[in-house]
Amino acid sequence: MLRVLAALLSLLPAFALAQEKVTVGIVTSLSGPMAAPGKFQMNGFRLAEEEINSAGGFALGGRKYLVDLKAYDTRANPAEGASAMQRLATVDKAPVVLGELHSGVAAAEAPIARDYGVPLVLTIPTGPGLTEQGNPFLFRVNANNDQLTQALADFVARQGWTPLAFIAWNNDAGRGGVNGMKKLLGESKIGYIGYFNVGEVDFASHVSNIRAGSARAVMLLMDEEPGSLAIRQIRDAGLKTQLIGTLAMGSDRFLKRLDADRLEGMVQYNAFPPNAAVPRIRAFSDRYRKKYGEEAHGFAAQSYDGLMLAVAAMQRAGTVTDGRKIRDALAAIEHDGVIGRIRFDSKGQAHPPVYVTQWCANGSRRILFPESLKADCGGG
Amino acid sequence: MPAAVLEQTINGLMSGSVYVLVALGMVLIYGVMHVLNFAHGVLFMLGGYVCHFFFTRVTGSYALSVLLSMGVLALVGIALERGVFRPLHGNLRNQVIASLGLILVIENLVVAVWGPNALQMKVPATEQLVPLGALRFPLQHLLVILVTFAVVAALFLFLKFSKPGTAIRAASQDRLAAMVVGIPVERIDWTTFALGTALAALGGALIGPLFLVFPLMGDAPMVKGLAGILLGGMGSVPGAVIGGLLIGVVESLSTLVLPTDYRDSVAFVVMVLILLARPQGIFGVRVRGED
Repeated sequence: MLRVLAALLSLLPAFALAQEKVTVGIVTSLSGPMAAPGKFQMNGFRLAEEEINSAGGFALGGRKYLVDLKAYDTRANPAEGASAMQRLATVDKAPVVLGELHSGVAAAEAPIARDYGVPLVLTIPTGPGLTEQGNPFLFRVNANNDQLTQALADFVARQGWTPLAFIAWNNDAGRGGVNGMKKLLGESKIGYIGYFNVGEVDFASHVSNIRAGSARAVMLLMDEEPGSLAIRQIRDAGLKTQLIGTLAMGSDRFLKRLDADRLEGMVQYNAFPPNAAVPRIRAFSDRYRKKYGEEAHGFAAQSYDGLMLAVAAMQRAGTVTDGRKIRDALAAIEHDGVIGRIRFDSKGQAHPPVYVTQWCANGSRRILFPESLKADCGGG
Repeated sequence: MPAAVLEQTINGLMSGSVYVLVALGMVLIYGVMHVLNFAHGVLFMLGGYVCHFFFTRVTGSYALSVLLSMGVLALVGIALERGVFRPLHGNLRNQVIASLGLILVIENLVVAVWGPNALQMKVPATEQLVPLGALRFPLQHLLVILVTFAVVAALFLFLKFSKPGTAIRAASQDRLAAMVVGIPVERIDWTTFALGTALAALGGALIGPLFLVFPLMGDAPMVKGLAGILLGGMGSVPGAVIGGLLIGVVESLSTLVLPTDYRDSVAFVVMVLILLARPQGIFGVRVRGED
């Protein structure tokens, strides 16, 4: 019996040689206040992992490597994020780390990435400051708040939807967004600005003030939960103002929280319209639906691209261990992802396309911007 | 802009009603047992969750779910009185610390059972809109106000004319004297606790369909309810009603002239100002607990 076991054990290294594993670090939210978007992020990573591994792994120097994701739950907590990042760099020896949702947590992880020479590829956080720190080991696949706001400001100005009112989170994301729009549109085009604290659910006072003001449109700088409450309270109070939302508000999931009646006509910026008539988007949406049984989400697409990009960088760098070489490969890479062409600028920020979509009466969406991809209801 | 004033007054009455429901429970328990139950906010939240559970999983009837939630929370209240507050009777400090500990226990239990994300409670019957001049409100919005007023009226009648109500008043005026005349004060203790937690549950169950049901939903109502109690006069039931409504209306109206992120501070500035002029509160009764 023992001899059989020993024989089996001696076979193991041979097997491992044939197909080695590369541990890729993941920092994400599996619990806590960002658990819901964290699920989209993990779905994207898992889909990419499955596709790479079911094809026998990725080729590098005549060998095949399987991807092994090592995910840590950072729970939207900077301290948790920092310790997870450190663990991935020292204990798990991950050559590259991907993910994160929360800009504050990403800010705590980034210096550790630099200290240990492990590239950190963000796929969701939008705080513009992250890629302004001169950290050569930090990369961001998704568009940041400034890029998203720029696209939306152009669109709002062209539609003549000013003065523009705001209901915004009383934090960096909300105040930063309002100030960004102020700068882009000009102070005179801004109407009522109402801030609310995280956890507040009653928007009645904002509704009164918006009704009393002269704003032609209201921008809701918040995520899904307060967004659904604010829209319901605005529409229930009989306010017909044009609504403008964030990328959290352009999904089927969001529709389920409300209904087509209340959403009709609302526009929002979007990083990934899952039904767009673009072959790469369509193909991804189909594969995603097949695996998870629901509509693809931008966060998943960005994260899927992140892992594919990291693998491409390892292939290009010719190493699965040297974080510095992988960093150099990332800095120079050009990758055709699901969300579009990804190329990092000198600050490590990619410039994927930004869309503006609009809700139709039947609960589908259409693309209004960019002009070249304009699509009717059902195509957004 | 009278429309905005009317709108904000009704909104203020709505949030004020919720504060009243929380404040009444706290003031009743404080009156009889001389303990400030800081866990009242999480019991309010638990009421919302239990109502959500009955409504979505057991019965499709919202009214029935509200009543069931009040019943369940009354039992929770009795359990807490028996298990936590009675053994600590006579030691105010330990009771307050225990009530703070209960916040952590209940909040984490709720997160463990229902998860950290907000739940939606869609009640189609009360989602319809009621026009009021140029304005319109969801029926649920007005329902919160009406139900609270009805409950307050019923509570006054109960305390004034019924035997157990009179006993509660007697026990809160003088525990020893109540005992002497044969009032079973320990029974009064748990009845009052059950009544208080049921009122909190009613608040959570009423607000659930309007906003969401989430672990922190009771925090603001608890703090504002407490402000209402202090404003109205510690230990006074009519004071809790007036104080709660006043806080709700003042903070709502303030948003017409002040930035909305100051709304919470307004409630407390008003409280501080009134207490400076009248330390015992509007319906000032004698100060209790420290004698």
